[in-house]
Amino acid sequence: MIEFRNVKKHYRSGNLDVEILRGVNLHVKKGEYIAIMGKSGSGKSTILNLLGALDSFNTGEYILAGRSVHKMRANRRTALRNNEIGFVFQQFHLIPNLSVYQNVRLPLTYSRKRLGRKKARVHNLLDEVGLLHKKRAKPAQLSGGEKQRVAIARALVNEPSILLADEPTGSLDEATTQSILSLFDRLHESGVTIVMITHDIEVANRAERIVHLQNGVLL
Amino acid sequence: MKILSGFKMALYGLWSNRTRVFASMIGVIIGMFAVIVLSAIAIGVKDSLMKQMGNLGAEQILVMPGRALDTANGQKDLLSGLTSIPSTLTIEDAKAVEKVPNVNYVMPELETINWVQYEDKKVQSALIGTSHQYTRMQHSKLEEGRFFTEEEQDAKAKVIVLGNNIHNALLGKQDIPEETNNTDSADSQQSLWKKLLNLLTGDSVAAEEPSLVGKTITIQDTPYKVIGVLAPNAALGTSTDNNVMIPIETALETTSMKNLTKMTVEASSMDVVDEVDAAVFSAIKENHSEIDFSVVKQDQMLGALGKVTSILQLMLVGITVIALLISGTGIMNVMVMSVRERTREIGIRKALGATTFEIMIQFFFETLLLCFIGGVIGIGLGYAFIEVWNNNIELFALVLPVWAVKLALYTTLACGCLFGIYPALKAARMNPSKALRFE
Repeated sequence: MIEFRNVKKHYRSGNLDVEILRGVNLHVKKGEYIAIMGKSGSGKSTILNLLGALDSFNTGEYILAGRSVHKMRANRRTALRNNEIGFVFQQFHLIPNLSVYQNVRLPLTYSRKRLGRKKARVHNLLDEVGLLHKKRAKPAQLSGGEKQRVAIARALVNEPSILLADEPTGSLDEATTQSILSLFDRLHESGVTIVMITHDIEVANRAERIVHLQNGVLL
Repeated sequence: MKILSGFKMALYGLWSNRTRVFASMIGVIIGMFAVIVLSAIAIGVKDSLMKQMGNLGAEQILVMPGRALDTANGQKDLLSGLTSIPSTLTIEDAKAVEKVPNVNYVMPELETINWVQYEDKKVQSALIGTSHQYTRMQHSKLEEGRFFTEEEQDAKAKVIVLGNNIHNALLGKQDIPEETNNTDSADSQQSLWKKLLNLLTGDSVAAEEPSLVGKTITIQDTPYKVIGVLAPNAALGTSTDNNVMIPIETALETTSMKNLTKMTVEASSMDVVDEVDAAVFSAIKENHSEIDFSVVKQDQMLGALGKVTSILQLMLVGITVIALLISGTGIMNVMVMSVRERTREIGIRKALGATTFEIMIQFFFETLLLCFIGGVIGIGLGYAFIEVWNNNIELFALVLPVWAVKLALYTTLACGCLFGIYPALKAARMNPSKALRFE
């Protein structure tokens, strides 16, 4: 499903050339649930950005469902993000002036997929995450856990085959963390491929496989 | 996402930030308001002046003091030729012109400023000495009484026709410069209260006050019998409301004025106007050692006026461009700030599948809509101003031509397009991963 072959990423900071990834190799099977662990600043988020085609690397190859992502032009990568990938971020990244309903519906606005009744789909997802009653609320009116559940609903609205989660429970309390992880478990059971970045071993243990990022390589 | 979705997103984006949007719109609103009102003033002034010039019939020729130089294309340069040269035109010139073949009638006029007194009221007015044909030649109407006759003119009768404002002022109905003490607050307040009361009761002061027709007024201690009052004639520049008219022969005898302010010559038909124009010039020239007068036809007057209004309109275009550049730059700055503030939102949208084009179109439409809505509000306010003006001020009517509205709308849209491109490109070119990290 996902394959990274010798991916290297570096950037310039002033006169310094900072090497983040020094040849990452990763293979994730379809429907697999993996956790990537590593210290702060080790490049975990960089890997997630590369997996989500939000950023590009310097050398290497990225194959997603048989397609060479590294050779794609910007608009093809955008379409890939919209059709195949759902994102869940630690800071939720909801648009503040849009309602819960509008935030969840947003990926459908940009979608070329034919998904039938879009309104019903958004409602079903909000019902699944237990927030249908707050569909008109603005993000500022929600708790952290509710925001993350809205973000998960948004990530799933386009029926992606891959869910990329960057510290999805990083800003949540224990009870909310468990409810979010249960939601991930259910998604995994339904066949969604999940790649989760975390520094919390207990959270990582919920995944099928854990890989560690150390000195710019995955172990 | 289709362009329509981009449009909807832009509308929603504007609505979500409506306070800031309105603040940034003010520049466009003021700019468009100014454009509409100034256009209406320019066209209104032009129409008013053209109408007055049009009152000078096509068969009429104007003789004025001062020499109008000929331009390269043979036309009279009325804009630079007629300077403040003292008039050398005399009643003898008028009599010479009367003898020119195909001249139907000559109407000489002389003018001075004088104090007109009725009982204890004394007001300043333009004293016009003219002929009995004045109302016919100038298309003036009488509110009451009559104009003086040829016999009264020849007999140098002490009769007078009052302009509407002068008549009202002498009756204490209207405030215009007075020499007596009753400009005091008590009197003017009484007048104001009376006006208000009349407005409320629907009565008119004229119904209560007697007319001056048949009464005697004095000018420089000379008594004149009031025989008529001219109808109100509020017009830009040439209103007769503050004038009083006496026969020219009487004016020559009772005042120190000996030179004519102008004379209007009426040709027997339009076909002979050019011929009469030349003959009038020759007839007057014989009485003068140098050419210190001008003979002008209606089309030459209209041409000169057209030149003035063209300059006015050119200035208007300049003001429009400046107003739009200022408001457009303001809007561009606001949009650039908005793009910066919404960097993370742009990152989120890109992460969720918005293409470069879709982001660009959203922000482009936001600027375009901002300019368009501001423009429409400005035009609406301008239109409201014109309506209020036209319903309350009689000086001249403001005229809003359709082309001015179209011009304002097109330029506001052009402004939106021009100043919307940069912020839209700035938003569209953002790297999504960097935008998501933006603090």
